[in-house]
Amino acid sequence: MADAWIYSAEPARGARMAAQVAELGFSPRLVEANGDLRPSESDGVAGRPPDLAVVIGDEALCERLRDDVAFADVPIVLSILPEDLGERVPVGEELLIPPFTAAELEARIVRARHQLGGGEEARCVEAGGMRVDLVTYQVTVGGEPVDFAFKEYELLRFLVTHPGRVFSREALLNRVWGYDYYGGARTVDVHVRRLRAKLGSEHAGRIRTVRGVGYRFDL
Amino acid sequence: MRAETDYVMRVVEEREVRFVRLWFVDVVGSLKSLSVPVSELEPALVEGVGLDGSAIEARTRGRERDVYAWPDPGSFQILPWTKPRVARMCCDLRTPAGEPFAGDSRQALRGVLDQAADLGLTLQVGCEIEFFLFANDGDGNGPPAPLDNGSYFDLTVQDVVSDFDRRAIEHLEQMGIPVTASHHEVAPSQHEIHLKHTDPLSMADAITTFRIVVKEVARDLGLFATFMPKPLDGLSGSGMHLHLSLYEGEENLFFDTEGDSPGGRGRPFLAGLLAHAAETAAVSNQWVNSYKRIAAAIEAPTHVNWSRNGANALVRLPSGRPGQQDSARLELRSPDAAANPYLLFALVLGAGLRGIERGYELGAEAGAEGSGEAALPGDLGEATALFDASELARETLGDRLCDWFAANKRAEWDAYRATVTDFDRDRYLRWL
Repeated sequence: MADAWIYSAEPARGARMAAQVAELGFSPRLVEANGDLRPSESDGVAGRPPDLAVVIGDEALCERLRDDVAFADVPIVLSILPEDLGERVPVGEELLIPPFTAAELEARIVRARHQLGGGEEARCVEAGGMRVDLVTYQVTVGGEPVDFAFKEYELLRFLVTHPGRVFSREALLNRVWGYDYYGGARTVDVHVRRLRAKLGSEHAGRIRTVRGVGYRFDL
Repeated sequence: MRAETDYVMRVVEEREVRFVRLWFVDVVGSLKSLSVPVSELEPALVEGVGLDGSAIEARTRGRERDVYAWPDPGSFQILPWTKPRVARMCCDLRTPAGEPFAGDSRQALRGVLDQAADLGLTLQVGCEIEFFLFANDGDGNGPPAPLDNGSYFDLTVQDVVSDFDRRAIEHLEQMGIPVTASHHEVAPSQHEIHLKHTDPLSMADAITTFRIVVKEVARDLGLFATFMPKPLDGLSGSGMHLHLSLYEGEENLFFDTEGDSPGGRGRPFLAGLLAHAAETAAVSNQWVNSYKRIAAAIEAPTHVNWSRNGANALVRLPSGRPGQQDSARLELRSPDAAANPYLLFALVLGAGLRGIERGYELGAEAGAEGSGEAALPGDLGEATALFDASELARETLGDRLCDWFAANKRAEWDAYRATVTDFDRDRYLRWL
């Protein structure tokens, strides 16, 4: 599992962030910001750099990470409260400004990875004749482009990148919308219906309704 | 840059979109559009686009006001019939200081949706929209030619109609508006399309989009489409029946758990809808012509009542599938598709919420003893006077929108009253 190290002077915010990156499949680890940038306990994890570093509120720490060759290939996301954004907006890092959705956090991580030139890994999901390019946001069915509104795309992206898993409507609402939208959890149903219509009969069935539970994407 | 904005910019680039149309509506719901070349899109997303606010007052334009259209990046859609590609974004209107603009219908609806959300309630709306398709021939004067006059190209009516359906549905689905269509039996050229239920803001955007898609597709086929509520004498008019479901969390409040309490826990909402139907008629039926559909009473309600079976009731409670919560709903049958959907939904929701907040009692079902049915306004003049005096409308929409709307409608009514019509001439010219 991918490791995420979280640097925070405030334990509560650090813990919240840990839960959020864990949701995205990372194994989170809180790191003391005043140490040598590595977790204090040496249980093997510390032996190699993490797959992601999230720094909460401390721009100077980002610079220290940047200067450390061991972290050269580590994507860094800086989370900064809107009120802490001073005259000078930090430009070196991928910025995350609370409140944010899980989808946004995920997007920031992808972008942070891209800034390192590490975007060559498979950023594309294919299922039959359907192709979702996660970098260009372009979806094609049988080679023909299909256009989506942002939330439709976000829902599709989430489903295709987590195939075979059943998600409740509430979980999908939280992941993609991040807050209770005007339509409540029914918004998810509405968007699933739109996705199915746009994907066409051949692929509509890949988004399976799991009765009484939620939805699942089948590759 | 926020993720949504990022998405829009990338799609514009990948799909070679040339222009983005920024959509908003004026006080009567007519679509207004500003075209922005993609080179100007990024600043438009960050700073909005300035426009002359008096355009939003519709025909009673007054003083100029600075207003900014702020595109809602979530509404970005490529218009499927355009080549080279053009996209649209629905806009909120703000003042130069970035505050919501008091004359913006979309913001008014957002305000009521926020109130509902504060009460833990969400409304889902489905629509049945009727309209007429006419052959685009003649000089535009005189009655329009229905499609079944046998002279239309060398295609049969059925060919044209199925072609229309296929294209319209394809475009609407591509724009994220799921639909089902049915050719209407009642009047020869009349059509009905159902928009599947969604939240009120998405539905209002969808109706606005729907009207332009239907007109575009009709034009492509050499036809024209009209949402005029009553285009032909003696035949049914075009309505827009709303199917409403009200949820508290997962619970549909209109679901009758006991089986003997129509409307379920949502009865006060229904009572509110009925209690304020007359004063909100100017919005649900906003044109002089709207009242000709109602006066003809062909499948259109004339009185404030509710019923489980009666075809002509203002609100019908369709018998949902037993035990199926999601199918429980109210059908509001007075509105027509030429309404401003943002104001309409704001008032529908506002009236229902007031019923809940003040614990309105639901009267007896139509036909039953003591149902005490009041008549809906008989014309735009009466409706406008009731609207102008409506405390609910002022509280829900704000004074700015109410004043503009009422001024607009009074002007329309006055113009109508001063017009000598075909009716006058046919009846009186030789006789008197």
